[in-house]
This record gives sequence, structure tokens and C-alpha cells, in this order.
Amino acid sequence: MFLTMKVAFRNISRQKKRSFLLAGAIAFGMMVITLMNALTGGAVINIRDNFSHALGGHVFITGREWTEAGQMIMKIRPDANLDRLLEENARQIEAFTRRSQAMPSLIFGSQQTMHLLYGVDFSEEDRLIDSLVVVEGSLAELGKRDDIIVLPEPVAERLGVEVGETVLIRLETLTGQQNVGEARVAAFIKDQEELGLSAAYTSRANLNSLLGMEPHEYQILNMFVTDLDLVDQFARTFREGLLSPEEAEEAEDEPEVTVTVAGMPIDPGTRTQEVTPWEGTRYQVMNINQIMEAVELVVGVLNRVGLVIFLILLVVTMVGITNTFRMIMIERTKEIGTMRAFGMQQKQVKRIFLWEAVLLGLLGCLGGLVIAGVIALAVGSVSLNTDPSLQFFLNNGRITFSLPLQDVAVNVALVILTSLLAAYWPARAAAKMSPMKALSSHT
Amino acid sequence: MAIVELESVKKVYTLGKAEVHAVRGVTFSIEKGDFASIVGPSGSGKSTILNMIGCIDQPTEGIVRINGTVTGGLKDKELTKLRHETLGFIFQSFNLIPVLNVYENIEFPLLLGKNRRSRKETREWIEFLIEAVGLADHMHHKSNELSGGQRQRVAIARALVTKPEIVLADEPTANLDSKTGQSIIELMKKMNSELNTTFIFSTHDRSIMEIADHVIQLLDGLIVEDSKTKAEAGSIS
Repeated sequence: MFLTMKVAFRNISRQKKRSFLLAGAIAFGMMVITLMNALTGGAVINIRDNFSHALGGHVFITGREWTEAGQMIMKIRPDANLDRLLEENARQIEAFTRRSQAMPSLIFGSQQTMHLLYGVDFSEEDRLIDSLVVVEGSLAELGKRDDIIVLPEPVAERLGVEVGETVLIRLETLTGQQNVGEARVAAFIKDQEELGLSAAYTSRANLNSLLGMEPHEYQILNMFVTDLDLVDQFARTFREGLLSPEEAEEAEDEPEVTVTVAGMPIDPGTRTQEVTPWEGTRYQVMNINQIMEAVELVVGVLNRVGLVIFLILLVVTMVGITNTFRMIMIERTKEIGTMRAFGMQQKQVKRIFLWEAVLLGLLGCLGGLVIAGVIALAVGSVSLNTDPSLQFFLNNGRITFSLPLQDVAVNVALVILTSLLAAYWPARAAAKMSPMKALSSHT
Repeated sequence: MAIVELESVKKVYTLGKAEVHAVRGVTFSIEKGDFASIVGPSGSGKSTILNMIGCIDQPTEGIVRINGTVTGGLKDKELTKLRHETLGFIFQSFNLIPVLNVYENIEFPLLLGKNRRSRKETREWIEFLIEAVGLADHMHHKSNELSGGQRQRVAIARALVTKPEIVLADEPTANLDSKTGQSIIELMKKMNSELNTTFIFSTHDRSIMEIADHVIQLLDGLIVEDSKTKAEAGSIS
């Protein structure tokens, strides 16, 4: 094997220009697929991060209960079981926040607008405070007093309100009664409305009082996990840990639960079947991966398109390799005859050609990966000032690239396999050549 | 003891619709240690006979026996093994492998089969051969950096590296000037004497055939003369 590999390697370096062109064609295909995979891989991570950021976590727990009047409301009360789960899994939790939410009418003077409002405990929302980009006003008062509100800039413009003025908050309590409160505008923040996740923020105590909830109650428990790869397992632990015995029996018949983050159900598969009231709180646990499924579906399609392009390029390259190897076989006829005369077996002749194909493929892969790496580095270092809607795919305005090693391995294996396939028939023909005819050839 | 035996060997080629009778029925034997020359004009069947002895072609009729093995009916794998273990080749146009240097070209046949020598022994043997053919200063040169005569010396060393019983040389001096050709034949003779390797070479050059101790003359695919005049060993330095 060493001899055939050595001869193959020398043969490749014998015709440098030709080898360069062949490997270059392979490298181009490899570069395209690598960049495409890395780009979509990076976009998925960015979208997930941006979603997590906007939604305030990776795992979201909501609670539902029935009132005495037969209304289902969204509320989480202090729960020893939930506290136990939080304690037991503390190592996997980077941070958690407890929020309330509503879709109130914000009123100032004669203007009013409906907007998502989160009630947050600012003392546990460091991440949120860090991410808010203040356009006007200050966040210094957050956590010090409850009756303040932070508004997205476009909302403030629609209302015509200034920092320091007071807006009215009109909403329905959890049980459906109208309620009105007020809050002083502390700051305007840069909006992320293009993400569909634009929100105003007030203290949880303030929103809870308007919704008819106790200050220590909340509606959503958001958790950031330390290891995103384990997020499904982590969510399952909570889902199973929070399941009541009655719920476990019903679970087999029930479809996957729906969660209402940002005031709207995220899962389009909202249940329409009749629900039998239950006692106590029932929890719904959702994680970022479930939200990302649709995104990953699109990414999957993109990657498949990339793969098809890659395969087309490979087929074209394969034709090139086959033709080149036919030419090589003719050029080296006498050499093959000599090697056969000295006792080289047919399979060894074939192996020389196949090794050449493998080495060319590897060279092409290496070249493609290096070029893709350089392009990724160059593109990734540029800060893009694009349309705001594109920012969701970016990380701080930069395109990021991420490519799992297994994807690289699959692509390399594909290239090698294709190269081997392309070289197989010329290799076989070379091996089957009669030594006598080969030696009497004039090439 | 005959190391090569041909009995009523015929070889017919088909060229389109025409049949070419390259060898029309030859019988001869070559003894171990012979320095044999097959001579004759172009088209007399010299190369065809060498090809059949070299197991790279098969007779249409008759028997070719190499070192006691009848080659007819052997499969490609067995013929290749027989070539590797018993035969060495020297070609008219040298046929060195261009991507390998002198040392590697000579080493090449050893790498094709099971080499029972240690790495050190192998190296010493190859270096001995390189020294013997007078190319010690060119060990790491590629074939395109050598003259015709030097290339043929490499080819001789390569043919001898597996210590074959028989070395076949098809017109080894045809591409060389007469002085270089003479020196190559003398080198082959020297190796024949020192290693007791049987050399069979084809030529149409009368001046070099005289060195041979066994001359087989061909004309139109038939033997016209088969004469043996054993030269004294070691007469050529």
C-alpha cells in the first residue's frame, strides 16, 4: 500500500498544473458547501441567541389554573415542587426570570396604542437591562420604584409622550374585568419591532396589581441554561417533574401543549378540543428548540439546496476527473507496462490511480476548507449596517459562521467517494491492460 | 540444466483481418548462467520470443517452460508472481519510472512482493548494485537528469535487484551510441559472470552478439542457427 500511495503522490506532483486545476475544481465545490453550511449554522445560532435574548430565556414555563368561576387563567403561584426542581437543577441554570405579561392599551392624552407589556423583577433581569439600548431617559430608577415604564421608541412616538410624563395602562385583569393604572415613563429604548417581539417593561409588582395577581405571583418562568445542547433534556426534566398524577394519565391523549410567550400562542397547533377543568396549577414547559423548529426547517431546506449544488458541482468535477484519468492512463501506458513486467499485480495498478483520486480529493477538500475559512474570517470581521430585519440573523451586526465537524466529515467523505468513483473505471482499465500491449505502446 | 525451454512455439497475431505469423515454431533451450543472444533482423520474432519468455505474452501453440514452470494456462496473478520472482527486464527505451529517483527505481521491484531482507540488508544490496553499475554519485537523481547510458545502467541494476534467475533485455543498446552500447553489454556480461544470472538479450548488432556464449539466430520467425560457445567467466572486467 505504501508503494502505491508513494507513486500516486509523486504522480500528482508530476503534473502540478493539472493536479492544481482538478483539486481546484473540487476545492471550489467544497468551499461553496462549507460556506453555505457554516452560514446557515451560524444564522441558526444567532437566531436562537437573539430569540433567547428577546424572550428572556431558553426554557419557558407557564402555569394555568381554573378559577372558581370556571375561567382558565395563566398564573404561577409559589410552588414547593417547582422550587425543588429549580434547586435540584441549579447547576444547569445560568439565570432565571419570572415575568408577567399583558397586552394593554397604553394611553397618553388622546393617543392610545396596544402593546405587549412585561412585568419584570428588575433585580433578576441583569441580562435584560444590559440588552436595552436607551435612546432617551435613564434606567437608573428601575428596581427602585414600581410605577415606572420603559417604552420602545416607536410606541413613545405614537403616543407623543416624553420621558418623565405619565401614561395610562388599560387592561383586562386575569378574570376579565377592566382595570386602569398609570406609570411614569423612565426611558425610551431602541425597538426590535421587526422581530415581532417589541415590548414595553414595567415592574412585575405594578403589572401584577393591574392584572389582579399577588406581587409574588407571575405568569412565565424563563430560564437560561448553561448548556444549550442539553436544553431538550433539561426541559423534559421540568415537564415530567411538574406533571400532576392526573395530568400524567391524560397526557397520553393530549397533544403537545402550547405556550403563549409575547402574549400570543407560539405553537400554531392550538388545541380546539374541550378541556375538563382541573384543580391546582398545570404547567406547560417549552424550550427554544421548539421555537427554532420552524427556523431549522428553513435552514434544513437551505442546506439541502446547498447539498444539491454541491452534488452538481461534484458530478461536473467527476466527469473532469474521469476524463483526466483516462488521459493519464494513456500517457502512462508504458509505465504501467513496466510496472506490470516487474511484478506489479493488477490491483496494485488500480490502487495507484485510486490513491491519486483520494489524494486529489483530500487536497481539494483542504483547499476548499482553507478558502472558506479565509472568506468566513474576512466576512465575519465586517460589521454590517443592514436592514434591521436582517439583524436577527446576525451577531452584533456581524455574520457568523458555524460548522459542525461532522458536517465537514460528511462533505469530505462525499468528495472522496465521488473522486474514487470517477477514477474507478480508468483505474480498472489501466489494471486490465495487457503488459505486452502496454510495453509496446509509443506513449 | 535448462532454465528456459521453448518447444514448437508459434505465435500468430491478428491484425485486422490478416494473420501475422511472428514465430512459426521454434524449439530451443537456454541453460542457467548462459549469456544468450537472440539475433535477427527486424520482424524476425526476437521481441515476440522475449515477451513469451518474459511471461508478458503467451504462445499460440507450443510450450514455454521457465525454470520448470509451463507458463501456458497460468492466470494473470500467477504470471505476475512468476515474473516478479524469476525474471528481470531491461528495455530498449530504459522505461524508468520518471517520478522515482535512481535508488527508488532500483528498489521498486523489491517493494512489489514480499521482501525477506531486513531494511539494512536491502539498502546495502541496492547500494552495492548502484556501485556496481557505476552510479554511486547519481543515487538521488531522477531519470530525466541522467544520460541514456546512465539510464540503462539503472535499468540493469533494477533488473537484478530481486536476484532473478533470468534477465531479459530487449535490444538494450538500440537507443545508445556504439561505445555506450558496448559498455552496457560488458556490464551485463560482468553481472552474468559475477551473479551467475542468466541473461537473454535480443539484438541485431553483430558486434555485440559476439560477446554472447549462446547465440540464437532468427529469420522470419524460425531459428536458422543455435550455437553455443561458452566464454570464460571473468574475462571481462
